[in-house]
Parts: sequence; C-alpha cells; structure tokens
Amino acid sequence: MSLLAISALEKSFGERRLFSIDALQLAAGERYALTGENGAGKSTLLRILAGLETPAAGAGRYGSRHFNWNPYPDWLRREVIYVHQQPYLFHTSVADNIAYGLRARGVERGERERQVAEAIGWARLEHLLGTPPQKLSGGEKQRVALARAWVLAPKVLLLDEPTANLDAESRQQTLALVREFCSPRTTAVIACHDRDVMELPHMRRLHLANGRIDLERVGTS
Amino acid sequence: MELLDTSHQALLLLFSGDPELWGIVGVSLSVSLIAMLIAMPLGVGSGYLLASVEFVGRRPLIVLIQGLLASPTVVVGLMLYLLLSRHGVFGQLHLLFTQSAMVIGQVLIALPVLIAFSLSAIQSADPRARETALALGATPPRVAWTMLVEVRFALMAAVCNAFGRVVSEVGCSLMVGGNIAGVTRNIPTAIALETSKGDFAQGIALGIVLLVVALGVNSAFAFFQGESQR
Repeated sequence: MSLLAISALEKSFGERRLFSIDALQLAAGERYALTGENGAGKSTLLRILAGLETPAAGAGRYGSRHFNWNPYPDWLRREVIYVHQQPYLFHTSVADNIAYGLRARGVERGERERQVAEAIGWARLEHLLGTPPQKLSGGEKQRVALARAWVLAPKVLLLDEPTANLDAESRQQTLALVREFCSPRTTAVIACHDRDVMELPHMRRLHLANGRIDLERVGTS
Repeated sequence: MELLDTSHQALLLLFSGDPELWGIVGVSLSVSLIAMLIAMPLGVGSGYLLASVEFVGRRPLIVLIQGLLASPTVVVGLMLYLLLSRHGVFGQLHLLFTQSAMVIGQVLIALPVLIAFSLSAIQSADPRARETALALGATPPRVAWTMLVEVRFALMAAVCNAFGRVVSEVGCSLMVGGNIAGVTRNIPTAIALETSKGDFAQGIALGIVLLVVALGVNSAFAFFQGESQR
C-alpha cells in the first residue's frame, strides 16, 4: 500500500486552474523528482502536501488514515517536512535552528543536544556554528535547513529546488546531502530542474504539465 | 539672564536631590512603567491576532486602531473621567484622582500604538518564518511565539514609542489624576502647574528629566528600529 495518496486534487488561482490531479500515490521509501515548466505548479503541489496551502478540492490518505486539507491535521505535520527553495533560518544560532523541530516535539534537552550534534556532523556544519544564520551563504543556509529537516527523521521529505541558485561547490555539497537524506526510510519528493537531482539513484519522475501529473522512472539503480 | 539664573536653580534642584522633585519623577515613572507592563501583552497579543486571524470586521477594526493613534490624550482623559466620576459607569470603584486611574488612562493611550506597531511588524515579517515553524511541526502557540521572537526588535521599537507617548502625556493624567501633590502629580502635570505659578526652576528641572527620559527612549527606539531592518 502507498504511504501517501491523494485523489481529485484541484488547485486554482482565481479563474486559472493550476492543476487537477485525479490520483497520485507515493510509495514508502521511494524518491520522486517533480519536474515541469516554471509555473506548472510544482512548488504549489509540494506546499499543499505540506499543509501550507489549501487546495480547492481533494482528499488524502496517509498510511491507513484519511485526512482533509482544511484543517491540515497536526499529526501529519510530524510526518511530513517541507524545505523552501530559499530556506528561512530563524534569527538565532545555527544549533537552535536545527533544534527547533525537536523542541516542538518536546524532545528533552540532553537527547535534543545529542541529536543536534549528530545533525551538525552529518551536514558538516561545525565551522558555521558561531556564524549568525543571516550571514550564511545560500548553500550554507540550504545545508542548515537540510540538517534541521534530517534531525526530525521525517517519513515524507518535500524539497523545493534544493540546488537552484547555488554555485558549483555548494550545489555538489547540497546534492551529496540530498542523496544521503534519501534513505529507504524516507519518501522524498524533490521539485527540480537539475539533471543531477533527476538522475539520483532509484529516482522516479513525476512530471507536471498542463495541469496533469505523470509518473515515470528515470534514475539509475 | 533670567533664563540662565532659572536654569542654574533647576540644576541645583536636580542635583541636591530635592525630595519633592524626585517624588514627582518617581510617580511619573512608576505609573508609566505599570501601564506599559499591562499594555504590552494586551497590545502585542492583539496585534498578532489581527495580523494572523481573518474575521468579519477585521479591516474596519484595523482602520479604527490606526485612527486612535492620533487621538488627543485629553480626549481619552475626558472619556475616562466620565466613566470613573461618581455618576459614571465605574463610579463605584472610586478610582478617580488615583494613580490607578492614571495607569488605566495610559494603558488606553499605549494600546493603539502597541497594537498598530505589532500588527505592522508581524505583517512585514518574512512569510517563510511562519511557514517554516509550521512545517517543522510547531503548534499555533509556538508559531505565535516564534513570530514574536523573529520581530522582537520591531516590537521593542513599538514599546519604546508607546512608553515615550505615555510618559510625556499631560492631558489624561491631569483629567483623571487631578495633579495631587505626592499622589498623582507626575512630571508633565507638575511642569504645567509650576509654569502657571511662575516657578520656572522646578519646571525646567522636571523638563530636563523628561527630556533625558525621552532622549533615552527615542535612542532605544532608533536602535531597535535599525536592528529590525538588518
């Protein structure tokens, strides 16, 4: 059975219908590259899946639990993590940013500090701990945001163009983290134009065009 | 020459630790600080709700609050006087001509400033801040707290602005405080009284204290406003 399924999902902006998706099923542990032209609705679809936007119509199922988008269920926010194309970092330290979701989940201090230290090591952020987040480069912010998501071990990871607008070195570092993040425990949907993201191992492709979505396998194994 | 002599006397009064003068300063600061302590959570909380929750009548309410920013303090004092006077709705509380009445008046004066500035601060915050908090699983109260922390410098600027307004207002304090020596006489009402009596030295001395307070508050306001735009 699929982990996350949506049906009859519709989104419009005023008179313009952005997309109408009859059915979409995301399997547990699979990774999907969400492609399409600019304005096709990739970001909007991810934001709807994350509960940050409400569709005009649609029904959802996570595992065996059915849900609606209005209101988006709190329990689902604990399973699904969305990372912006240009991540927002709170005006606090890098470590506190990474700890934010753990605090929200009530993880006690000792365990939280252990997990944050692990995430800092994972994303190789040790040298940035003393830098105010607002002074970080785009690539560094992206890595902090990935560490902040990774530490929560989400069941569903939604990334919006994680390598867009990054220089070559930052792009490679981000790509390496995305590759590691996409473990069999995590279902990942990554909106992208980047060929290297599309060609990550075991990647399947969700192509959004003319308001419809198609599924095909493109990655190497 | 008269101005120089009077200023000299004013400085002597200030630095001699004149108990009457410093008592007036104490009344002024304690009333205004208590008013701010009451108004801050109410104003900032209301500003957050107005910025975050859609409801019928929200727009007119925002326009009304922004309009109240320009309300003369003496009119606030008049309304409060009518409510607190013996035949008023709250006459039984016997609050007229007490520091409590002055505190209530200053809370009413500070609230529109705090609400309007907090609303503006939250509305101008990066929308990704709220979305990020939500996406990371924060509950609505935690999202609210996160947003307030994110715009903390703008909120501190709002607090400085509101404090500057209440500590220097004379109309409301005079109406509902009554300018009673040692009880409700604060800096602005004392300056008005001493000047009318021709005792300029105490008026100037109190004016200097008020200017120092206003300068300090406005410097803090400018600092926080600068920090909020970084």
